[in-house]
Amino acid sequence: MKLSRRTFLEGVAALSIAVSVPAMAHAEDLKMGLLVPGSVSEEGWNRIGYNALKGVEEQLGAKISYVELQQNPASFEKAFRDYASQGYKVILGHGFEFQDAALEVALDYPDTYFLISSSSIHEGNVIGLNTDTSQPFYLMGVIAAKMGRKAGLVGGMEIPPIQQAFAGFKNGAKSVNPDFPISEAYIGNFTDTTAAKEAALSMISQGADFVVPNASGATVGGYQAISESGPDVRSFSIFSDFTPVAPNNILGLYVADYAQGVVEVVRTIKDGSPPTENVVFGLKDPKVMSFTFRDDGPVSVPEDIRAEVKAISDKIAAGEIKTGE
Amino acid sequence: MDDMMFLTFLATLVGAAWRLATPLIFASIGEVFSERAGVLNIGLEGTMLVGAFCGFATAFATDSVLLGLLTGVLGGMLFGLVFAFFTITIKADQIVVGAALNLLGMGLTAFLFRTYYVSTGKGIEIAQPVHIPWLSDLPFLGEAFFQQNLIVYSTILVAILATLVLYRTSFGLTLRAVGEHPKAVDVAGRNVAAYRYGAVLVGTGLAGLGGAFLTLGHSNQFVEGITSGRGFIVLAVVVFARWSPIGAFFVSLLFGLFYALQLMLQAQASIVVPYQVLQALPYIMTIITLVVVRGKGAAPGKLGQPYEMR
Amino acid sequence: MEQVNQGVRENVYPQAAQALYRTLSQVAISAVTPLAAVIVALACGAALLWLNGFNGSDVVTVMIFGSFQDMRSVGEILLKATPLILIGAGLCVAFRCKIWNIGAEGQLYVGAIAATFVGTSIDGLSVWVHAPLVMLAGAIAGAAWAGIAGYLKVRFQASEIVTTIMLNYIAIILTSYLVTGPMKDASAAYPQSARLVREAWTPRIVSDMRLHVGILVAVVLAVALYIFLQRSSRGFALRVVGQNPHAARYAGMNVGRNIMIAICISGAMAGLAGAFEVAGVTHRLYQNISPGYGFEGIAVALLAGNNPLAAILSGGLFATLRSGSEVLQITSQVPQVLVLVIQGIVILSVVAFAKLRDIIRIVA
Repeated sequence: MKLSRRTFLEGVAALSIAVSVPAMAHAEDLKMGLLVPGSVSEEGWNRIGYNALKGVEEQLGAKISYVELQQNPASFEKAFRDYASQGYKVILGHGFEFQDAALEVALDYPDTYFLISSSSIHEGNVIGLNTDTSQPFYLMGVIAAKMGRKAGLVGGMEIPPIQQAFAGFKNGAKSVNPDFPISEAYIGNFTDTTAAKEAALSMISQGADFVVPNASGATVGGYQAISESGPDVRSFSIFSDFTPVAPNNILGLYVADYAQGVVEVVRTIKDGSPPTENVVFGLKDPKVMSFTFRDDGPVSVPEDIRAEVKAISDKIAAGEIKTGE
Repeated sequence: MDDMMFLTFLATLVGAAWRLATPLIFASIGEVFSERAGVLNIGLEGTMLVGAFCGFATAFATDSVLLGLLTGVLGGMLFGLVFAFFTITIKADQIVVGAALNLLGMGLTAFLFRTYYVSTGKGIEIAQPVHIPWLSDLPFLGEAFFQQNLIVYSTILVAILATLVLYRTSFGLTLRAVGEHPKAVDVAGRNVAAYRYGAVLVGTGLAGLGGAFLTLGHSNQFVEGITSGRGFIVLAVVVFARWSPIGAFFVSLLFGLFYALQLMLQAQASIVVPYQVLQALPYIMTIITLVVVRGKGAAPGKLGQPYEMR
Repeated sequence: MEQVNQGVRENVYPQAAQALYRTLSQVAISAVTPLAAVIVALACGAALLWLNGFNGSDVVTVMIFGSFQDMRSVGEILLKATPLILIGAGLCVAFRCKIWNIGAEGQLYVGAIAATFVGTSIDGLSVWVHAPLVMLAGAIAGAAWAGIAGYLKVRFQASEIVTTIMLNYIAIILTSYLVTGPMKDASAAYPQSARLVREAWTPRIVSDMRLHVGILVAVVLAVALYIFLQRSSRGFALRVVGQNPHAARYAGMNVGRNIMIAICISGAMAGLAGAFEVAGVTHRLYQNISPGYGFEGIAVALLAGNNPLAAILSGGLFATLRSGSEVLQITSQVPQVLVLVIQGIVILSVVAFAKLRDIIRIVA
């Protein structure tokens, strides 16, 4: 799909004119801002935040805006302030690094809600939204240990969302086989797709047959390596649907519809009953976190393992299994 | 690690090293030309990004890797033309212009990418490894040397060609003289500026090719800042290689080797060193080698200096 | 002839007014090229926006004017200007000596590390002692980091362009290691250091704004470096080494020592900038403490024509552009990276206009 931002913006403008007429009836329009630490054009972390923003626009008729900041803590506070002072009701800081700045600005704007992704904070109008990725990764770990000989995990940088996911994977694999070998490598950034590719290739050459990359924009390099290594290497698609890149290797999809989760939270704010504690999305929220198996690929997960995974998933959702650290 | 494991490890390492070295090889051989003619271009990071972006955009629109490579080279040369105009015609400081071009390259590619590619989906079809009968199937050696795509193999050709041009043709001879004794060249009736323009265009064209390899021959997506500092590493490679194309080839390979080793060692659970130590290794090694191969002996005499015609 | 003129004028104007007049006209002349360069760059930025379907005039109406809405936004600009002025003014000294220190980014990181260490490991000092101590630590660390490249250049003729770039990577990787390892805040899951103790924070100028005294320090130091370069014998020596190292050596100057001093001054300024980012803005060390201030500082110095005094203005300009680019994205959804393009064109136009001025001067 190719969509230039220009046509996209024109579309948004036309749409907002169309919806703004009935929306005039409301006392004030809901405005939502988004701060992301990089480009939303890449298939990765920033895109997830952007999709959430779009979801709020489409489903709640909000007026939206986003700003792609470089990863610079000094500029966060100003961006929050810019939005808050322009009457934005909800501002999503997409990443734990936005938390300190939001707390600071929140003191001056008590009527604005500051949502922070990948955070477990709750202080007044600053609310953390955490997608517990250790849960789906736990399931992947179980599948890896049952179907493979050795697993490989390629990470971007050593930050909580990624550490959390990998911890879940390791716990899941160990729950099946305590000695199941897992190797782990970080490429040290989120841009170098070639490094992600080579890291995955090297793991595969050292015997890994179940590889999951998790490096935001660079993730795609990992799937490419998996695809080039033949159908004996298995993987799971994470966050987005990467099956077109590695159609012969991907057993299933973990897709986080973070947008659904954010829309629900924003809806509660709009209705005047905002969350009273920090929000954690997990397997208990099937609308947000979907974990599905593929049937159209050359390899698929056998029925008995699927049943087992389903049982474990239910236990995680019920809070009976702890997946994280 | 037993012997078999070790051999596999080695074969993968060498194969990965060559692929990771490929963009460095192109760009550093290009920079050898440029510096031999007395022009120091520190704007390679921006130039490589332009090559990577042009290549990706073209291949995305036309599905042709070859066309992509071509526009990657042309994009690099266009950038080189700006550099040459400012440093050779206007005689501005080469470092200043290079720094400006880095900003421009990073800014322009990121701006255009963010503006036009809201989603690139599964990316593009990239150059596939070629299967050479018999050779590709050799144990270990096959994986290390004979399972690459044509762009990777072409690095050997480029290195040999560059050496021939630089040392066996009158163009190369004059070009080197331009970097050492521009006055003599001028007196002999040849146009110093024209040779420098030529050298810069060869250099930036190859840098563009190196960038385009990243999106067309290695990964299938453009990502902002995909060069991840390779344009700067190239400058170190050239000094380390003593301004020789063959040297640049092997030093680039060495860097590729470090880079691949770093990624592979991380995956070894038995290694307990923090992975950042491994990441820093190539940079530390560069500094050490600069100290070891010290002296300005091989540096072009007039490197970095504009030439004032009489 | 000139003396006659001066004699005549002396009767008309008092001496001080005359000096002022001369300085002002000098400033006016030297300000023309950078101003023209900025206008060209903004025009190019507008053209780029227009070509790509955005509103071109936003470059002026939103990007420039939009960042001067109220006192707070001016404060935010000055906050961004602080590291740029510090780094830019420091690099002026190195560049005057023809030392191409590309490593201000790394020196900033090392300064931030040292500041964090002093700001988190010591407790119970008064703010009058602790805050300056943090700054000093940053400056020393930055100078030492730059000094490595200086030493390698003097002792082994290793190109400082290459070594400073390598030291950038090493410093950034070191920071990443420290905040995920030894310096990590034990109470948080995130890769960040502990918060600096209150007394170590750089005092704010107005209590409800983020702007801290760093901006004053930056301006004072820039002026001091200007005086150092123009008026002191050491400053003179640095400039001679930059213009002609052979002549300097012939004149009995210690070239190596001058190189070390120049690069260490620039490193100290960058390290100080890093200390202010930690102690004045974020109060913690993060993996990405700088959005490339070290590289932007190079452009600041070049736009200032390697004059530390002018670096105050060019630093302020670049901060305005950076701040404005964020406003531009928020209001018009223009990718914020536009600022890099404009900065690149500013440098190229400065170069071109300087040439043009030379040509005009020769013709005239």
